Amino acid sequence: MSRGMDFTIRPATLEDCKDISRMLLELAEYEKVSDQIKITQRDLEQDGFSKNPFFHGIIAEVPEHLKSKDGHPKIGYSLYFYTYSSWKGRAVYMEDLYVMPEFRGKGIGKALIAKVAQLGLAAGCTQLNFTVLDWNKSSLDFYLKQGCWDVTSDLGYHCMRCEGDALQHMAQGDH
Amino acid sequence: MSMFILRKAEPKDVSDILRLIKELAKYEEMENQVLLTEEDLLEDGFGDHPFYHCIVAHVPEEHQSADGHVIIGFAMYYFTYDPWIGKLLYLEDFYVMKEYRGFGIGSEILKKLSNTAVRTRCSSMHFIVAEWNKPSIEFYKRRGASDLSLEEGWRLFKIDKQNLMKMTDEE
Repeated sequence: MSRGMDFTIRPATLEDCKDISRMLLELAEYEKVSDQIKITQRDLEQDGFSKNPFFHGIIAEVPEHLKSKDGHPKIGYSLYFYTYSSWKGRAVYMEDLYVMPEFRGKGIGKALIAKVAQLGLAAGCTQLNFTVLDWNKSSLDFYLKQGCWDVTSDLGYHCMRCEGDALQHMAQGDH
Repeated sequence: MSMFILRKAEPKDVSDILRLIKELAKYEEMENQVLLTEEDLLEDGFGDHPFYHCIVAHVPEEHQSADGHVIIGFAMYYFTYDPWIGKLLYLEDFYVMKEYRGFGIGSEILKKLSNTAVRTRCSSMHFIVAEWNKPSIEFYKRRGASDLSLEEGWRLFKIDKQNLMKMTDEE
């Protein structure tokens, strides 16, 4: 399946939410923002695996004999959902991409992103979008190598957010 | 101009929606980038699993635009997900025709959108703005929006179809 590492990529199921939750926390710690997680395993189960899911997931899994030092066979994941470009139509947005540190450099990340690309193309999408933190050099390099381009640098598009009190005030029409 | 209504877009609106998308793209100097057709909008917005939602601003006949239109503004949005904080409302496009600005139509659209966000238990509304678009940045900042690219260093990336296909071929 890849360079000397035996792994499979498959759609996430309800049962995977425990491991997704675990790896989410690992990713948040890597991005130095673990205190910002408000979502629980239960929320993931409800939001991703009910009749109208808000996201989809894929899992990278290794056989038992190759599992991680702390005993996990599920060692990577990606969360994605469908969006819409008013210029080009259907698009897929990759929200999270993560491979446990001890399993990196074996083509697993590349296989996960390829799967999201495949699923996106099958659903009629013409682009895959995602965001990367500007200090995350290794990720930036990985993505640039896959043929993507930095829309923020090239077109000056900034990601904006309105939340909490500001969102409530906006809903009431105050400003 | 107190006389306008905001309503959910209907299949018959796709022609006006496309017209306004192109007008907004023209303002962003990206008019030739719009490849979407009315058929796409119809299929993708009004089927069983819509890819987007739209609200339109409608004025009475007697206030129609110089070129004869009564749909004079719109917002296109969809729901996204942040696995740390949950559901979000993503604002894809937001536009009011030039001759109808300054009457509070934009503010009302934004109010309706934020109401939708709060009602559907979204913790945030996200969107992108071009850094050269000072009037829009001011409009949003006045309403409490923060610039994640500046404050947290987020950079938006894209992979287009050609490279997506290359990626899937290599596996």
